[in-house]
Amino acid sequence: MNDETKKQINQRYDRELQRGERFWPDSIFKDVIVSLAIFIVLVLLATFIGVENSPKADPSDTAYIPRPEWYFLFLFKFLALYGQIPLLGKVEWLATVLVPTIGIGLLTLLPFIDKSPWRYYTRRMLPLTVMGIIVFDMVLLTLVSDIPTVSESGSKLPGILQTVMGLAIPGLALIVLYYLAYRRGEDSPVAPMLWTSGLAAVLMVGFAAATFIVAPPVAKTEETVANTLIEQISAGQDLYSVHCVECHGDDGKVTVIEGVEGLEGKEISPINGRDMLYTLNDAAIAEVINYGRPDAGMNPFGKAYNPEGLTKSEIDYIVTFMRYNWDDRFEKPVMKPLFPSLADGEVPSYDVHIAPIVKRYCISCHRAGKDNNNFLMTSYQEILTTGDQADKNLVKGDMNSYLLQVIQGQAILDEKGEELIGVMPPKGHLPTDVIDVWIRWIMNGMPQTAEEAAALYVPPTPVPTPTP
Amino acid sequence: MWKKVYDWIEERLGLKALYDNLLDRPEPKGNWWNTLGSASLFLFVIQGLTGIFLTVYYTPSPDHAYDSIQYIMNGVAFGWLIRGIHHWGASLMIIIVFVHMLRVFVTASFKYPRELTWLIGIGLLLLTLGMGFTGYLLPWHQMAYWATTVGTQIAGSVPFLGDFILKALRGGPDLSALTLQRFFAAHIWLLPAALAGLIGVHLYLIIKHGESHYPSRDE
Ligand code: HEC
Ligand code: HEC
Ligand code: HEM
Repeated sequence: MNDETKKQINQRYDRELQRGERFWPDSIFKDVIVSLAIFIVLVLLATFIGVENSPKADPSDTAYIPRPEWYFLFLFKFLALYGQIPLLGKVEWLATVLVPTIGIGLLTLLPFIDKSPWRYYTRRMLPLTVMGIIVFDMVLLTLVSDIPTVSESGSKLPGILQTVMGLAIPGLALIVLYYLAYRRGEDSPVAPMLWTSGLAAVLMVGFAAATFIVAPPVAKTEETVANTLIEQISAGQDLYSVHCVECHGDDGKVTVIEGVEGLEGKEISPINGRDMLYTLNDAAIAEVINYGRPDAGMNPFGKAYNPEGLTKSEIDYIVTFMRYNWDDRFEKPVMKPLFPSLADGEVPSYDVHIAPIVKRYCISCHRAGKDNNNFLMTSYQEILTTGDQADKNLVKGDMNSYLLQVIQGQAILDEKGEELIGVMPPKGHLPTDVIDVWIRWIMNGMPQTAEEAAALYVPPTPVPTPTP
Repeated sequence: MWKKVYDWIEERLGLKALYDNLLDRPEPKGNWWNTLGSASLFLFVIQGLTGIFLTVYYTPSPDHAYDSIQYIMNGVAFGWLIRGIHHWGASLMIIIVFVHMLRVFVTASFKYPRELTWLIGIGLLLLTLGMGFTGYLLPWHQMAYWATTVGTQIAGSVPFLGDFILKALRGGPDLSALTLQRFFAAHIWLLPAALAGLIGVHLYLIIKHGESHYPSRDE
């Protein structure tokens, strides 16, 4: 750029200043309004949406599907799509290093590449359209980032559609734009370039929509995170019921293991007393659960040793549960009841009442791989259809359903008088309100959802007040 | 009386000169797109303030980071608000800085005499992304841990230097307490200091050259 052009530019700027505004108050006024609006938006987001929680980091949980912050998702997707390209896709660093470096390099050196003094939009068609296509592509890549490249049925179609959308069309459009710009020299043809980018944008949207149709985004797997202390204690109690009760008992005071294969009659120290709770701190207890006591017969529960084991967060919840229930130095907060209590005539449902009860009292034995007469209780369907006595366990409206008998301390005997099913749970017995829930549930036909249960509600007939 | 106090202060501080030079400047006619730069600045300040509050309770160690964040969310009065603002502010800052760059690009404001302003701006964009990347690991939850594992792996795919970069970022072959310590140091000292310095130069250049005007047909 020669001195003459520079002088022109500066003179031009001075003229603009003459007919401009003042920094204070004109510009500052707008700045303050925007900043204020941003602040309000932030407070609203923090209050009403909050921050998504995720379980504690667990280096041994290698099955976890990583997901970067949203503003890196487009890069992630770009890498995944690039990997689809035959041959070239194998040379990883081309995409991870070369392309981003070139991109940032071009952006950095922009003022030294685009040295023409022209500023008006129609004279800068090439940079504007190129940037437009790239930014548009980044947005679309972010939007489709949750769609896998291979669909559940193994079809590669979603990956192909995405590659056409994210790499092929924009790539082609860029080539056409450069061709149009340089064929004519000085002045780029405005209309053809606008048409090219417009057409490319429409095609990209089309392919993006097609991807959404052939492969809907996979729903993110729900991760249950216990946020408050009460939730943590209750999550810990459920986990304890499933994993620990068979050996340590529901109150942790078992001293002789019964009914566990290979450990029958083994003497252990109770885990609910001061001996254990005062000598081991949280981290040490978590370590015991993580590594187990393999020499003594307790299997490791950490994911590192046991792929079906517990995550770091889950182990922490169990420790929290133990502390607040058994350690006399901790005061247990008022817990939410396991299930909402029932009014007269109200019918419990699987979702609201039975599921939490089963989780706490029955699941530890009634899941795959345990001795339980093949009676699995991990879902509504399983409870109704599995078990050696499936047809007699839960019979709508029948007080003699096997399940109701065994939970009320009545073992089932076969013709020869031998025990078919022992009392349930085998050790200890259920609280009366829990038994009441089971009775009402089975007598009213085992409704699954809260709505179905509500439909069965019969308000108790008011007792007629005796007239004197 | 007030006049006297004012004169005394004015004589020593020279506020009037500041006012004349910084605030009472002529500017070309602007519009709302011109507020994005100051909005970026505002977000930087907000992030700084909320960040300082967060460091009061945050502990950068794998054993305590997660729990300290849980405590901020549930135990500390208004901790959830401070963390919420910091969390959303980070995302918003990235968007706003990026759109600010787009606006400068579209109006060709990076041309003579503002080339350096643009160069510094790119530094600001990269540093802002760096803040996002390092900050994301700090809560030490599953999402953070694995995203950073993959992120550093990508950085490690550079030919020849890759292994060195990977180890430099992680402080060893794997993500560990050292990684967290490093990211923490970068997130609260290194990158903000660099950002603040560059923002200073950026602003100086803007005042020196004045804000560009919107181009018309003949330019
Ligand atoms: C297969 C049976 C079994 C299961 C299931 C089991 N444990 Fe154990 N646990 C043991 C045995 C055996 C010991 C060793 C006891 C001893 O040495 O006195 C033990 C020891 C412990 C100890 C250490 C006690 C001490 O004084 O050092 C803790 C704490 C503990 N278990 C907690 C748990 C928790 C929590 C769970 C559930 C996640 C669990 N256990 C599941 C069998 C089991
Ligand atoms: C400590 C382990 C354990 C727990 C806890 C437990 N069960 Fe059982 N359950 C068994 C075993 C073992 C059997 C097999 C029959 C037997 O040996 O008595 C069984 C069998 C049954 C059967 C008969 C299944 C069939 O089709 O033959 C029913 C019904 C049953 N349990 C209900 C329950 C309910 C309801 C609970 C929760 C309140 C529960 N159980 C908790 C161990 C357990
Ligand atoms: C932390 C990030 C940033 C802050 C705090 C910031 C701040 C500002 C402010 C306050 C202005 C003046 C008002 C305005 O034009 O909006 C400005 C202008 C400018 N910024 Fe930034 N900026 C940042 C990032 C960037 C980036 C990423 C770029 C481009 C790569 C950039 C390039 C420019 C240029 C060239 C100007 C002059 C515009 C003109 O004169 O019209 N800045 N910046």
